[in-house]
Amino acid sequence: MDLSSFLLQQIINAVFLGSIYALIALGYTMVYGIIELINFAHGELFTAGAFIGVIVLTALQQIGFVDTHFVLTMIIVFGLAMAYVAVLGVALEHVAYKPLRTSSRLSALLSALGMSIFLSNGMMLSQGVSDRAYPQVFGLESIEIMGARITNGQIFIIILAIALMVGLQLFVHRTRLGKAMRATAQNKTMARILGINIDQTIRITFMIGPALGAAAGVMVGLYYGAVRFDMGFIFMIKAFAAAILGGIGSIPGAMVGGLIIGGIEVMWAAFLPSAWKDVTTFTVLIMVLYFRPAGLLGESSTEVRV
Amino acid sequence: MKKVGILVLSLALILGFQSLVLAETLKIGTLSPLTGPYAQDGTDILQGVKTAVAVYGPVKGYDKVEVIPGDSACDGGKATMAANKLINSGVDVVIGAYCSSATEPAQIPLMEAKIVQITPASTNERLTAKGYKYFFRMPPRDDVQAWSTVQFIENKLKAKTLALIDDKQTYTAGLTANITKFAKEKNKVKIVAHEYITPGDSDFTAVLTKLKRINPDVIYMGVYQPEGSKMIQQARKLGMNNIFISEDAVYHPKFLEVGGPAAEGVYLTFAKAPETPEKEQFIKTYKAMWKVDAVGTYAYFAYDAGMMALAAIEKAGTTKGDALQKTIRDNTWSGVTGDIKFDEHGDRKLAHIVWIVKDNKFVPYWDPMTGKDL
Repeated sequence: MDLSSFLLQQIINAVFLGSIYALIALGYTMVYGIIELINFAHGELFTAGAFIGVIVLTALQQIGFVDTHFVLTMIIVFGLAMAYVAVLGVALEHVAYKPLRTSSRLSALLSALGMSIFLSNGMMLSQGVSDRAYPQVFGLESIEIMGARITNGQIFIIILAIALMVGLQLFVHRTRLGKAMRATAQNKTMARILGINIDQTIRITFMIGPALGAAAGVMVGLYYGAVRFDMGFIFMIKAFAAAILGGIGSIPGAMVGGLIIGGIEVMWAAFLPSAWKDVTTFTVLIMVLYFRPAGLLGESSTEVRV
Repeated sequence: MKKVGILVLSLALILGFQSLVLAETLKIGTLSPLTGPYAQDGTDILQGVKTAVAVYGPVKGYDKVEVIPGDSACDGGKATMAANKLINSGVDVVIGAYCSSATEPAQIPLMEAKIVQITPASTNERLTAKGYKYFFRMPPRDDVQAWSTVQFIENKLKAKTLALIDDKQTYTAGLTANITKFAKEKNKVKIVAHEYITPGDSDFTAVLTKLKRINPDVIYMGVYQPEGSKMIQQARKLGMNNIFISEDAVYHPKFLEVGGPAAEGVYLTFAKAPETPEKEQFIKTYKAMWKVDAVGTYAYFAYDAGMMALAAIEKAGTTKGDALQKTIRDNTWSGVTGDIKFDEHGDRKLAHIVWIVKDNKFVPYWDPMTGKDL
């Protein structure tokens, strides 16, 4: 393996991991943008999506549906996982965040932490403590480009992740609902005066963000081959770092942040001692925040809004 | 009438008093990760002990045997807390913990309380090198395991280059350190890389791609099962056909289930339990009791630890640490993992063999003690 194919392989590894971080980070950033709350339960919503995915996919595989209708299977699996988690997201907002919308941010944060523990333990009790194997529908086949390998599964996942992110960007900037979301994020009172239904806008945010997280959950299951009730934690930390790095509240920021975190992780391990991989990732995060407290693409939060 | 009343009352009192004396509950504490990434192994251990209690039946001198689970979470702090909690609830013997990094700090309060502790899983050699006389270990030590691995690489595979991966925990780092030590003794195999991963991570492609470029003959996966299953899949997807060797923490039915076709051809070191009717019976009982398809690796050792503890308590007639540890040490016990006889450190004379994954099963492959194929 020469240096160029080695580099290409590591870039593929980085883009793949980065896209997954980015998809999860979008959930944090969208919720933060609209109600200024770090939704700590997002990692659990991501895991819930992965579980719905494995349940549906296993069922479809048992009746032999996967072999005959592959594309339809993927639509059903991703569709059901995203729909379920979207409903879960709205329920979460209604139960845990809505009653606290006017109270201090600290109580909402505690409520988020509580929901995270509640959901995590709920999944442990209902789905068991051990790894649950995902049916390997993509197999081990891969294609070789200039000495680097990319599996069919990876290609599918990267394309889907990009499509979801582009779709989200179009939704936020080209539709009336998206405009309402942006208006609510900027100024809730003014948005309400102008006739925007704030409750509905927040609900929609809590559908889209978690649904994207659920899609990432299914992708993780499909590619890494197993899901477990506590798998949300490590992904949550990395995606949270990505959201902060890109500028929390900024949608393109979350995408860029995800790719950067994935990139640093992979490239550091590729060329330098791998034991220091995580230390470096978070050192970079601290450095960026030191020089740009609002993150790379975030609005400056140090500006006093009068 | 009054006399009869007094008689009945005194009889009742005697009975009541007697039942008070006899109503002794034997308390067996367990320490194993019931939450976190290694909860599968932790649950296997708890279920193994509970199976032993159910199979053993009544213990002489006790009305009831109770199993008190403690969650060590593969974390030193949590394990120490759980150990103290067990001590406070008055346990007579403790079986656990799982991760060496959790067992080591939990030893201190248990040894101070003079409670016999039997680990069904922790293999780091430091644990029995501290002179704790109440501490016993069921599985073979890591230096034995590392020695077997190096023997296999040098004499059977005749490989020239070796790359190590570990996740920096007490158990895994101990293993790779020992392998490095043994490999340097004869210098037949050269260690060309030593990479690290983070426990709980899912993506190991960066490190694997790095090793693909170096292309060593053998890659050693010093990790636990959840990471190992994912790692082997990613390696095969990267098109790596190097020989992979792993260890007892990866030797678990879940590795076959999650790893699937990617796991084929992986070598693992693990103790081999003799095929006995007792073992067959245990597997049958365990599967029926817990409604599972396969028995977890450490359930065997936990079951043996439980059976031995109950037999030793019955034989010693006490749960006092000093008498109990002497009884355990002075006798040879039979178990599903072979005969159990401890040396002065609390270790068993138990060797590893090399297994291979073939047709999604663990199959015995090579014996490092004799150097022969199995």
